[in-house]
Amino acid sequence: MQSSRPLAANLPPAQVDSCIYFPAGLVGCSTWKRFVLLSDAEEDLPVAALQCLDERGVTFMVTDPVVVSSEYEAPLSAGDRAELGLDDETKPVVYCTLTVGDGGELTANLLGPLVINPTTRKGKQLVLADSGYSACHPVGNMGAE
Amino acid sequence: MLILSRRPEQSVHLGDHIKITVLGVEGDRVKLGIQAPAEIVVLRNELFQQVQSANSAAATTVRPSPTAIAALLRGKHPADSKSGAPVL
Repeated sequence: MQSSRPLAANLPPAQVDSCIYFPAGLVGCSTWKRFVLLSDAEEDLPVAALQCLDERGVTFMVTDPVVVSSEYEAPLSAGDRAELGLDDETKPVVYCTLTVGDGGELTANLLGPLVINPTTRKGKQLVLADSGYSACHPVGNMGAE
Repeated sequence: MLILSRRPEQSVHLGDHIKITVLGVEGDRVKLGIQAPAEIVVLRNELFQQVQSANSAAATTVRPSPTAIAALLRGKHPADSKSGAPVL
């Protein structure tokens, strides 16, 4: 678990706004490569918006998947680590996207996490085949709160 | 779509670096062997489509209030209500 910090508290504002680059794009959406993380450092929220710079209107709400599923792990292969330029000491930042369904149900994509090298801000969307994780893991209902 | 017939142990090359071999046929199941460079992502179509659909749905969702989402997420871990903020 991360300590209690807002999403962007560890970085100066200029860096928070700088681009996160997914060289291969996202799965099935290969042109969505460049994103900025929008997070209100004043408010301590476990969610942030990831806005795509390549496609107008594409913005993800993201969170730490461990918040959704406390045992969550996104294992990286040696190839993944090399692609992201991750050395052995650097832990990747992992996000999962959130979706609000028509009925207000909130789901998290635990099957396809976004994994980012915090040093280079290079990212990749993994697909955790054989993990048993769902692309629409139920979190709760927005209307029920 | 290009359609090819292959027998077990015969292969198809996709470019110079990707080779797909039919390893066997058992009833209605075909076993394929795939040799490809590490950076080529090989996925069953079902998984690819699930993640693609989730990406589309998450991208086009009505932008929910972060505060409302945060309340729901925190509700999952009431004892540790402030944790979980991913730090980049």
